[in-house]
Amino acid sequence: MLVVLLVVTYSQGARTTLRNSCRSHEATVVRRLGRAALFKETELGAFLSLRLREKHGDDVQIERTSPLNEFEAVPESVREAAAAYENRKAATTPYDKFAAGTGHPQPDAMRDSDL
Amino acid sequence: MRVCIDGESHEGVAIDVTGVAGEELVRAIRGQDASPRVDCPTPGPVHDHVSILPPASFDRRDALAAAARALGHESATRDELENARAELAALSPPPVDMRAVRRRVAEAGSEEERLRERVAELRGRLRARREMGADATAVEAKLDEATRQLSEAETERIAAEQALERAERAAREARDRRERCLKLEDRVANREREVRRDLAAAVWDRFRSAVRAVPGNATVGATPGEFDGDRLTAALAVARLAPLDAPVVVDGVDHVSGAGAAARLLDAPVIYTR
Repeated sequence: MLVVLLVVTYSQGARTTLRNSCRSHEATVVRRLGRAALFKETELGAFLSLRLREKHGDDVQIERTSPLNEFEAVPESVREAAAAYENRKAATTPYDKFAAGTGHPQPDAMRDSDL
Repeated sequence: MRVCIDGESHEGVAIDVTGVAGEELVRAIRGQDASPRVDCPTPGPVHDHVSILPPASFDRRDALAAAARALGHESATRDELENARAELAALSPPPVDMRAVRRRVAEAGSEEERLRERVAELRGRLRARREMGADATAVEAKLDEATRQLSEAETERIAAEQALERAERAAREARDRRERCLKLEDRVANREREVRRDLAAAVWDRFRSAVRAVPGNATVGATPGEFDGDRLTAALAVARLAPLDAPVVVDGVDHVSGAGAAARLLDAPVIYTR
């Protein structure tokens, strides 16, 4: 599985350091997203992330994320509901109306169920 | 004002001095330096921009905004700016140190792993001894002890994981606040810009007339911001339009022939050095 390190910054200073790191280590950067970046899951990626946190403390969030495999992690009912809702006839129907009276799960029920 | 240099005292709104660096006079006016000695009113915010002419650097919009404030103008955006600043000051995200919690989880995990291997190994040895018909009491005792330790390690690992999850939730909330801080910082910066722009616009007509009245080549348009000229001309004009109590140091400006002329031009106390 292709895991990446997600680094999110929460201050102007941390953002600037992140931008500079990304510039000088392009090969390690998978994606730059404003004040966040995805680093490759290598020791260098970890080094860059940790250096940033060392400098800016709580203004830096580091997550190790992996692609979602919905067939592994998401119940079929939710997958089907998503597909059915996106293919609905009336574009203006909100999801809870759409789901009412069908077998599709209600938003409240999904909100309280962890994957 | 009164200026004392080398035991010699000068008094008035326009004082000519020779052989004293302009920067020294500015420090004396600000009370940062005792010699030369300048007795004068405390410099206000406009003075920061026109303390010495020609100025080393000059932010025209900032200077005009300060002059406008000194003339009693205010921006309609000021309240919004104050509110955003107050909200930002009140929002201090709590520090969340998760390093210890993360380390605890990692250590608990490896300890559990180590004990699990130990238990498997002892089970193997026990089986082997029993198959051989040898005495297994000692190995049995070791296995019991290792199994007990493994169960403790599991409990510790679960507790550590739960603690980490709680800490991560707290960190998430703290980040929400950081996010809010960032937005507020942006808002404060935007409002500050608006306030400066409003204030500078409020005195733009006075600035235009002042530019025409002072020496130097500059063209000023009717729209605020339309200015083409050097910073000395702009600074002279700001000094002329702003009310100034503390003296302006004029450091050998060619088009202005001495303290008296400068004081009349700027309508302010002047120390002229050359």
